[in-house]
Amino acid sequence: MMFYSKSACRKRDKLFKDAFLFITSFNLLTKSEYCMKLKVDLLSRGLLTLILAIAISSFTFAQRTLTGTITDANGGEALISATVVVAGTAIGTITDFDGKYSLEVPADATQLEVSYTGYATQTVDIGNLSIVDVALSAGAILDEIVVTGYGTQKSKEVTGSITSVKAEDFNQGNVNDASQLLQGKVAGLVIARPGANPNGGFNIRLRGLSTVGASTEPLIVIDGVLGGDLNSVEPQDIASIDVLKDGSAAAIYGTRGASGVILITTKRGVAGSSTVTVNSQVTFEAVDRVVDVLSADEYRAFGGGNDRGSSTDWFDELTDTGVSQIHSISLSGGNKGTTYRISGNYRDVKGIARTTGFDRLNFRANLTQKALNDKLTVTANLATSRADASKGFDDAFRYATIHNPTSAIRDVNNPEFDKWDGYQQEVLFDYFNPVAIIEQNTNTQQDKTIAANIRGDYALTDALSVGVFYSQQRSNEDESWYYDKNSFFVGQNRNGLARKFNREEEDQLFRLEANYNTSLEGNIDLKVLAGYEYQDFAFSGFSVQGGDFLSDAFGANNLAASNDFANGLGQIFSYKNTNKLISFFGRVNLNFDDKFFATASVRRDGSSRFGADEKWGLFPAVSVGTDLVKVAGISGFDQLKLRAGYGVTGANVGESYLSLQRFQPAGNFFFNGGFVPSYGPASNPNPNLKWETKADFNVGVDFAVLDYKLTGSLEYYNSTTNDGIFQFNVPVPPNLFPLTFFNVAEVNNSGIELALNYNVDLGSGNTWQIGLSGSRQFVPELVSLTDEERGVSLGGFRDGANLGSPGQNGTPLVRLEEGQPIGQLWGLVVDERNPVKEDGTWNFLDVDGDGTVDDLKDRAVIGNGFSKYNFGLNNSFAIGNLDINVFFRGVLGHDMINTFRAFYEAPGAIAAYNILSTSADISNLVDQPQFSSYHVEDASFVKLDNLTIGYSLPSANLPSGFSKVRLYVTGQNLFTITGYSGVSPEPRLTDEDFSNFGSLAPGIDRRNTYFSARGFTFGVNLGF
Amino acid sequence: MLAFCMIAFMPACTDLEEELFSEVTADNFFQTEDELISALGAAYTSLYGYMGTTNYWAAQEVSSDEMVVPTRGPDWGDGGHWVRLHQQLWTAEDPTTGGTWNFLFGGVNSCNRLIFQFEELGNPLTDPFIAELKALRAIYYLWLLDVYGNVPISTDFTDTNPPATSSRAEVYNFVESELTANLAGVSANVDGTTYGRVNQMVVQAALANLYLNAEVYKGSPEWAKAAAACQAIITSGNYSVEGDYFANFNIGNEGSSEFIMAIPYDAVFAGGLNIVMQTLSYINQETYNLAAQPWNGWCTLEAFYDSYEDGDLRKGQANTEEGPSPVRGNFLVGPQWDVSGKVRLQDAGTAASGTDPDGVPFTFRSEINELFPEAWREAGARNVKFEIEVGGQPDMSNDMPIFRYSDILLMRAEALWRMNPNDAEALDLVNQIRDRAGVAPFDALTAENLLAERGREMFSECKRRTDLIRFDKFTEEWWGKSAQEDCKELFPIPKSQLDANSNLVQNPCY
Repeated sequence: MMFYSKSACRKRDKLFKDAFLFITSFNLLTKSEYCMKLKVDLLSRGLLTLILAIAISSFTFAQRTLTGTITDANGGEALISATVVVAGTAIGTITDFDGKYSLEVPADATQLEVSYTGYATQTVDIGNLSIVDVALSAGAILDEIVVTGYGTQKSKEVTGSITSVKAEDFNQGNVNDASQLLQGKVAGLVIARPGANPNGGFNIRLRGLSTVGASTEPLIVIDGVLGGDLNSVEPQDIASIDVLKDGSAAAIYGTRGASGVILITTKRGVAGSSTVTVNSQVTFEAVDRVVDVLSADEYRAFGGGNDRGSSTDWFDELTDTGVSQIHSISLSGGNKGTTYRISGNYRDVKGIARTTGFDRLNFRANLTQKALNDKLTVTANLATSRADASKGFDDAFRYATIHNPTSAIRDVNNPEFDKWDGYQQEVLFDYFNPVAIIEQNTNTQQDKTIAANIRGDYALTDALSVGVFYSQQRSNEDESWYYDKNSFFVGQNRNGLARKFNREEEDQLFRLEANYNTSLEGNIDLKVLAGYEYQDFAFSGFSVQGGDFLSDAFGANNLAASNDFANGLGQIFSYKNTNKLISFFGRVNLNFDDKFFATASVRRDGSSRFGADEKWGLFPAVSVGTDLVKVAGISGFDQLKLRAGYGVTGANVGESYLSLQRFQPAGNFFFNGGFVPSYGPASNPNPNLKWETKADFNVGVDFAVLDYKLTGSLEYYNSTTNDGIFQFNVPVPPNLFPLTFFNVAEVNNSGIELALNYNVDLGSGNTWQIGLSGSRQFVPELVSLTDEERGVSLGGFRDGANLGSPGQNGTPLVRLEEGQPIGQLWGLVVDERNPVKEDGTWNFLDVDGDGTVDDLKDRAVIGNGFSKYNFGLNNSFAIGNLDINVFFRGVLGHDMINTFRAFYEAPGAIAAYNILSTSADISNLVDQPQFSSYHVEDASFVKLDNLTIGYSLPSANLPSGFSKVRLYVTGQNLFTITGYSGVSPEPRLTDEDFSNFGSLAPGIDRRNTYFSARGFTFGVNLGF
Repeated sequence: MLAFCMIAFMPACTDLEEELFSEVTADNFFQTEDELISALGAAYTSLYGYMGTTNYWAAQEVSSDEMVVPTRGPDWGDGGHWVRLHQQLWTAEDPTTGGTWNFLFGGVNSCNRLIFQFEELGNPLTDPFIAELKALRAIYYLWLLDVYGNVPISTDFTDTNPPATSSRAEVYNFVESELTANLAGVSANVDGTTYGRVNQMVVQAALANLYLNAEVYKGSPEWAKAAAACQAIITSGNYSVEGDYFANFNIGNEGSSEFIMAIPYDAVFAGGLNIVMQTLSYINQETYNLAAQPWNGWCTLEAFYDSYEDGDLRKGQANTEEGPSPVRGNFLVGPQWDVSGKVRLQDAGTAASGTDPDGVPFTFRSEINELFPEAWREAGARNVKFEIEVGGQPDMSNDMPIFRYSDILLMRAEALWRMNPNDAEALDLVNQIRDRAGVAPFDALTAENLLAERGREMFSECKRRTDLIRFDKFTEEWWGKSAQEDCKELFPIPKSQLDANSNLVQNPCY
């Protein structure tokens, strides 16, 4: 049924008002056009009726009616469905076909805020007027505020590479970690977590890899506090996230900018009447993919195994539907002098693996107070959280893969198993009943965080202000393990084993800033910033482990009951280390009449971690831009900005004290009939140890066409990292210790990024917004890892990332080679057409052509773990009261080593382990499992990552007291198109298991990987 | 504002000194007497690496005809380096090549550093330590001379230039001069105060080893000097042959009257002796109630096992279908039993298969079907010469002899025999050892029976590779291994060291 008459539209006007109210009260103000043309379908009518039945009455209070027309300041045309809202409140409406609005405003309302997609938002005083007309100027998208670090800029003035993501564009659904909000949203930003472990963190990598030994994680800045933990911010408290991608933008962060910077801005209150929002959701997660192993029947049919008479699906026994819920409430508001926002969040998250999950409670309070004739502004933020996690045992996934499917979980009738509480076990090396592992043993962790900061800004003159900022953060993790006396896995041999590990982190930051903002003759805007910053960090912790308990009753809570301590077998350690960073920084921004833009910054950074001779580093940057539309009047474009930037950033040394010669306890020495402790070297001195230096060049073009309906940017970056920090073997003698960190490596890294946004008017007030962000990342090259002057060298190459036990220790998976790409997978090459020879042995190729196949000489590069293309494709539909979001995400061109296959595909392994179904492909193989190119797969994938459908109730029919009711359902990880046969094709950015190669060994799918999940979330957003 | 900061907090504003909490630097340590003694300890704790899984122990044993680590199906493949070690096809990158180097030079460095520190201090307490450290350094060099031959001689801690390779003869001369020069400077005490440390008898034993192998090391023999060094130990009267061979290897063996120098391994204080983990099967966890699952790896070659005649007390007796053997020996073979000795152990999960031909019952057999890839899980006699503790930890508490009196007797016998094949004292010395083992005396000494007797007596004491080279048998063919070039008598210089130090020269063959 279609309505085109004005009266009908007015009815729908109310509907839109409702929708608008929901969204503003949830701080999810979208800039979609709310046209009056609307389809009212039967579904929404039905729901409307339902809600009407619930609705009772509506509030009435002292108010008056405002009317007016909203027009385009250039042509004077009426703007249809522009939003008009009482500033600081959720009270608002939308203009009709003639650009007219009518709004009942509270008696004490003073200002109106008028906004329209593609136009600058205006705030106007209403005084005692009853008619308020407003003319808006196009190009608001260029006036959007972008957070740049120690300040903000308008979008049009930005000359570096910065991507800003607002809350309304965040990923929705079962989001428990702030990094999830951004997954696929920012070109060049890769966020990956291979499995759905609720306690597992995400790996974040911006613009590929540009280091060999320093941190690859971007610097996180939360409300001006450097070095925050993304996981410590409640996702629902975040208003926007800005990503500084290139060197010219990040150089203001000096030694911490080389891996990029992510700036988090939390939500704040706005002046006006108070707003309460309540959000609740429940999520059901199910296993997405598991390793394809033989079932009990298939196992029996395959032959060669040991039929133990039962049928058990170990994956099924290990997993369950994960039911999670999140509830949050916030209160915000304020008046001219004071604004505040207080929020509380509770979540109870259960993973798909039994015994994994956590519950967490967060509180945050943000307060802003003006004083001294508004010259002084004081802001204070306080955030605290507490989480209790059950971490389970990732080992269980590996053992579930290999455990005999004909074994039973328990066999209480067989006294042989009494010593294991009836769990059936078989005595083989590294082979345990996975269900017994998770049911008999516990691994829990309690996290507590508190962060507080206060900032004072004083305006000395209109142009000059000074600010002082102090912040303190503290976090504590307390982790406990207990292995039962009757657990065959670990506990039995130790007669019960308990461990506790407590880690404490603390940092404080002090900053002074001065800002000078003025307009010069010739329409030149000048902004100058100067600052000093001091930050110190302290890390400490202790761990205690002891076994041999009389009873399991204590768990890890009474370690003195462990007999190991009396026997000298208990283990204790504690540690503490600190470091500090001291900086001076400055920046100048220039805007020449919106035609030319320039930014220059410099930071001088000192770190206690640097060697004695290299305590201070200098990090300059400059970037320029010009809008050709403004300068040359190029037609057809609304904006065509060219920009280029060059910046030098650094990556700090990863640990404290690396430049010093240190000694540490080195065993006990038998002296005069007894043992005394001895001390031995732990490192060599290196007074020249310093930061890695990354010089980065970035060019880009930003454009807007079709009245700002289509906007986008395209950019290219190329960076060279020098003085890369790498640990070298050093000759022993003359060195005391065989390893030293040197600044030697040179790495080159480049890529292209594209972001597009297109707003489609579907008519009838319905919109479709398409957003695409994509990147082509070129594989980083290790240019050099040799310094002849200091006599250190890689010797051409180094192999690393060992495959591991059983039987494949000493099997490197990755080769690091000078002059070659990083991330090279390395191994024997199998004849893909005919992997097994007739005699049942592996058919390896004679790579070096010497006539024989040699285990060492015939290895070659057999893939690369880095992805080539990453993209996110977002579709947002606003159709009537429905909002629909469809988000596809893809990663293409990365190879992955499927280690499950490398170990458990050889048919002969069935004598000891269960094997993969793909064993049938090489059924004539008699050789042992041996890693080769046969186990390297292309892991490219495209997935429907997120599908959300929301419905907002029309306001006319809202229950009493409600300003917004939105119901939604989200599906996550709904389907994946990939040729990868393992559990998850998500890129593995770093190798954590057995390797010292870390981020130099991407693309290894290890066997302890938590399974991936598919989730469905049902939620409601309420505003009052 | 910045100016204000600069003035008010100048030191704090820009102070970037590092503050340490849980580690020490030379600046704030090694001040008190106890700290100085503990400093000396670093030179000795380096010794705990002697028995590391890919250290000196592996280089001396798995490369020889008395031990092997077969690839048992999916276990112990490890990139082939165990097989290469046994076949003498090792590379400059293999773990044992690098591990042994780092172990030995780690010791040299500790000595160099401490010699420098103690010389700087000039403290009367530490002055005697200097000769001891120089002698200990010479012992580390004795092993370097043996394993790598051509190695850099580094004696100056303050010289930071990467040292250049010295020839094997130069290294020989260095070891000889250091040992002789410091003989008088080290303690003459042979008692608890020098247990596990270098005293005069230890220096003599090191010299005996140096001279006995002089022909290999520098091209010309020193048999008389070897015999004399052994004689100095014998006539000192400090040592005697234990009545029970296993008194040297049981738990609590630190009282052995044969120990000239031993490494005082301890499950709590001094970990590093892990034969229990290396050799036993995971199933033997139940035989000994072990705290961890053993790894089912190292075993003895069948021919070596058979080189012991039945009745040789050192060989012991195999377990039977009735129960565990009541007689302790060097080897564990036959059906395996739980700790009570009543329950026959079964590898429950494994049907008869390529890696386990007899199916469920678990039986160690001295036969090894193949080196790789499908050696049976139960193949090979296991090494229990060092007593396994019931309820034991992965780290064993038995002490590990480096120089043992019986070895000195056999060494003197060999030196005398080399000079005179019919030397009566030589025959008598060897027969002392055979007598204790409960086997009939030899009528005469030959290269074959002398080498074989050394093998049986010194099994698993890190001597076999050196002995085989001295008898010119090391590169010959034996089970699982073909004949190799003589240059395999030296290990390659590790690639990591060559990469790091361009002054080093690789050994021939590599």
